Amino acid sequence: FAGGGVGGGNDFQWCFSQVKGAIDEDVAEADIISTVEFNYSGELLATGDKGGRVVIFQREQESKNRPLSRGEYNVYSTFQSHEPEFDYLKSLEIEEKINKIRWLPQQNAAHFLLSTNDKTIKLWKISERDKRAEGYNLKDEDGRLRDPFRITTLRVPVLMPMDLMVEASPRRIFANAHTYHINSISVNSDHETYLSADDLRINLWHLEITDRSFNIVDIKPANMEELTEVITAAECHPHQCNVFVYSSSKGTIRLCDMRAAALCDRHSKFFEEPEDPSSRSFFSEIISSISDVKFSHSGRYMMTRDYLSVKVWDLNMENRPVETYQVHEYLRSKLCSLYENDCIFDKFECCWNGSDSAIMTGSYNNFFRMFDRNTRRDITLEASRENSKPRAMLKPRKVCTGGKRKKDEISVDSLDFNKKILHTAWHPKENVIAVAATNNLYIFQDKIN
Amino acid sequence: MMVARGMKRKLYGSDNGGGSVWESQLQSVLDISLDKFQRDQALVEPSLLRSVLITNTLRQVQSVVKTHLSGVSFHPKLHTQPKKQPELLSTLGSIPAGHSASLCSLGVEDMEDDLMAWPSEEDLSLATAITGILNDLDAALDDDCGLSVPQRLPLASMENLPGDGRSKQNSTISHKTDGCRASILGNSSHMSNYLQEAVIDDLLLDIDTNVFEAEANSVSPCAFSFPADQLVKYLPPFSNSSAVSLTPASPPMVR
Repeated sequence: FAGGGVGGGNDFQWCFSQVKGAIDEDVAEADIISTVEFNYSGELLATGDKGGRVVIFQREQESKNRPLSRGEYNVYSTFQSHEPEFDYLKSLEIEEKINKIRWLPQQNAAHFLLSTNDKTIKLWKISERDKRAEGYNLKDEDGRLRDPFRITTLRVPVLMPMDLMVEASPRRIFANAHTYHINSISVNSDHETYLSADDLRINLWHLEITDRSFNIVDIKPANMEELTEVITAAECHPHQCNVFVYSSSKGTIRLCDMRAAALCDRHSKFFEEPEDPSSRSFFSEIISSISDVKFSHSGRYMMTRDYLSVKVWDLNMENRPVETYQVHEYLRSKLCSLYENDCIFDKFECCWNGSDSAIMTGSYNNFFRMFDRNTRRDITLEASRENSKPRAMLKPRKVCTGGKRKKDEISVDSLDFNKKILHTAWHPKENVIAVAATNNLYIFQDKIN
Repeated sequence: MMVARGMKRKLYGSDNGGGSVWESQLQSVLDISLDKFQRDQALVEPSLLRSVLITNTLRQVQSVVKTHLSGVSFHPKLHTQPKKQPELLSTLGSIPAGHSASLCSLGVEDMEDDLMAWPSEEDLSLATAITGILNDLDAALDDDCGLSVPQRLPLASMENLPGDGRSKQNSTISHKTDGCRASILGNSSHMSNYLQEAVIDDLLLDIDTNVFEAEANSVSPCAFSFPADQLVKYLPPFSNSSAVSLTPASPPMVR
């Protein structure tokens, strides 16, 4: 895996590769992408949307016949994962929006993924069928049953090639285990279990068992009046199958060891950065709420995203992060307006590159940011149709925070807060990134790649 | 920092949090939070994360206002501390006339009256309304709640309801406050739940700043008693256990 930095010199040069999705201005709510995830090899890229659909893209094998395709992603499978449901008991409608997709490591020819909405997790099997049996004894080729008395000889059916068909079938449905809204699912490194987290509880499941799960964290107070903090994200450690973390709305992260106790209400490690008293405001708590937590591939670090920044934590140091990156500090003076228009509640995700040398997260105006951990350089890029000529290099963007606005800079007040990049994903091995901009999926590749 | 014409700027503005800018933000945050709170209440299933964040913000505002007001605590002996009053008043008084819901521009006598003249039996505290809603939310969502929590009275966190097994730890009545409050609660507990909810809605509507602006304009700048009176009425006793969670280094989440 070639290193390469984020901006300038021996750095990434991000180029537009593809964009998927409708072009028209009127965006159907159901088409809004709500999750993006590469599989372990990077060959497959899954997206989930508000309409409950999952679309899987597969990377074309680079071939001499089509040298320009350069490993493009094309639709591989589309299926309806979740449907809207109505809970009659509580008179509540359950949204079909896909909150998260997580792939299972591939163990055979088929691919498996978990997809979840607010209440139900489903295990989907995606398999290919490119052969068909012909020559049945009891039915004709068109399916009509043959009269058994007319059959005089027996033959062995043969497998004949057919057009490739990709089938998605639900293999397991894990339901009725969450009272509150599921915000995270995470597959354990043992490849047998996974966890699911809602606002107040975390459950541990076995992939084969759907009728029960094990509650491992419960922060629901006996008296709901005492509730002041909720779980916002959770993830299993990439290598230690007994370790997981969960983040809270108060900007804290708790690391738990499942070997220590059956119920992990007591954490093993507690990560919290002391508050800077000089920057305290009415919104300090809201902006400290962690919207995403991700372990590094190495398992030594974890990254958290709060409203204005991304922080990298060393698992061995609980009292402060080792690195902090400002995503859009210019918004700090606008927090009151962002509170009023609800933008302050937007949940941005973050991701590592394959070598853990760079991190990426989204912002507003269809901007997304990348930070190089080694050189400490950062870059702001934009996902837009204007920059979507094939292999066009992306130009760094800059937000003008005050004073004279230079050419090509955009002022804070001109930012479009409806164009938010909440979901991004980085190929596990190569410099290919997928960025979800409302209903469009942008794929960018590194030119050097 | 905005200063009314003809008034001298005082040096003490920064001590009290930046004067009018801070106060105007405080008011904005309060207004916006209440609006969101009301809207979320109307939803069948509001997001728990959002509800908790908005509620915590409201509690923060409440705490700040309470701290601010308690810094101007009035006793009959107040006249022995003349220095403190003019400082605070001049800072607070620097808000130009017409400033919406100027919760701080008060005359001494008016403030005293406001604090002493505690709300009528119809007034309910903000925190109890909030906690009542959180409770209802929980009752709606959680089907494994062992205790049947039907319509929990919004006032419940302020009083020990007899027969309510969960309220033993809920005696959040601040014993420091004057006895007037206890009698209010006693009266209110007899109200039906429907009425209480209706009253909450009315009260929350009353916090609409348009009301304040109309009133403020009709009153002389030196005696903004009405707006403060309205706001103060909605402040609950600052004794709820949730206050603990306002500190930055919060203890592990309560079970």
